[in-house]
Amino acid sequence: MDSIRLAQDAAILPLARQGDPVAQEALYRAYSPQVYGLARRICRTREDAEDVMQETFFEVFRSIDKFRGEGSLWGWVKTIAASKALMRLRRNKYRDTDELVDDVAPQRREDTALRMDLEAALERLPEVSRAVVWLHDVEGYTHDEIAQMMDRTVSFSKSQLARAHARLRRWLGEEVVA
Amino acid sequence: MNHLTMDQLLELREPGREPGLETARTHLEICLECQAEADRLAQRMARLRALPVPRPGRDKFPAIRARYLADRRRTQLRWAGLGGLALAASVTLAVVLRPAAGIDTGTPTQVAQQAPEQSDSVLQAMISRSQQLEAALNAYDPDSRVIDGRTAAIAARLEDQLSTIDRQLEMTEALGRRADNRQAAQVRLWRERVGLLDALVDVHLTRASYAGM
Repeated sequence: MDSIRLAQDAAILPLARQGDPVAQEALYRAYSPQVYGLARRICRTREDAEDVMQETFFEVFRSIDKFRGEGSLWGWVKTIAASKALMRLRRNKYRDTDELVDDVAPQRREDTALRMDLEAALERLPEVSRAVVWLHDVEGYTHDEIAQMMDRTVSFSKSQLARAHARLRRWLGEEVVA
Repeated sequence: MNHLTMDQLLELREPGREPGLETARTHLEICLECQAEADRLAQRMARLRALPVPRPGRDKFPAIRARYLADRRRTQLRWAGLGGLALAASVTLAVVLRPAAGIDTGTPTQVAQQAPEQSDSVLQAMISRSQQLEAALNAYDPDSRVIDGRTAAIAARLEDQLSTIDRQLEMTEALGRRADNRQAAQVRLWRERVGLLDALVDVHLTRASYAGM
């Protein structure tokens, strides 16, 4: 799969750099599911994720000359997508604190029979925590890279990840009953 | 030692561990409870990676392509701005020096056969109309508006055609044909450009519903 994609990228890139519509469409078809998937996990709404996807591909088409082939094309596209999604979070004045989650959490804790599925638990995390979890655990970014993208410190990224995992563990009913 | 915290469990998974974590690592090797916790963490991460990828609901490519072309056109125009201004200035000068009759925007063949001063005024009128339409489009700011897929596809097609015309206009300058032939080609291209811009304004303003395309 990856080698096929690499071969396709190599053939498509020179044409995409000239603004060829067929090459651009091929890039869009190849990467839009992943770009949307990443955006959807970080953004609160489907509409925001679609906007991020549009912004990402517009930037990809406009700046493809800047891609020098260091690393994979998908890695480059993914970084643009992640930056756009985080920018969208900042623009939407995300919940940087945990007050809402903590307001809801006590009720959930009492309801030990309720075991949320992972998807729902992830959705319930504050935006920033969810973004850190997704970028670190799924997309494979380091805390240094996440801190840079979020314009925060490395320890901020680490503490967000730890708190998010503690919550997921609790909400998923993984807590050990003493 | 107390059981490991979530921070420590996560830190142990990072490459290039800090020396301070040696104690934590030793504890993990002997503590069954912390080993179970580390396993749960690893499983949770694996489950996160295995979550299905949400799929986009709508095809956004036509809208993205239209925006890209509009942006490229604006960039090209900015770069060609000085050249365009020079051309407009020279046409104006020619008109001023040789007062012409009323503007007649005849067919390209007619234009080629027109006297130079008539052709100058037609060209001047086309450039001026094109600038007005560009200004109207910029004021409308289609990039910031949500458009449906059909409108986006039509807009993309028009932007594509505009892009081709702009390239041809650049080439008429670069090829250095005979002056009268060049002017006839420029009039034809600017006329086409005005027609396309007119259609583009129409498409955006009417959302393509009444554009009859």
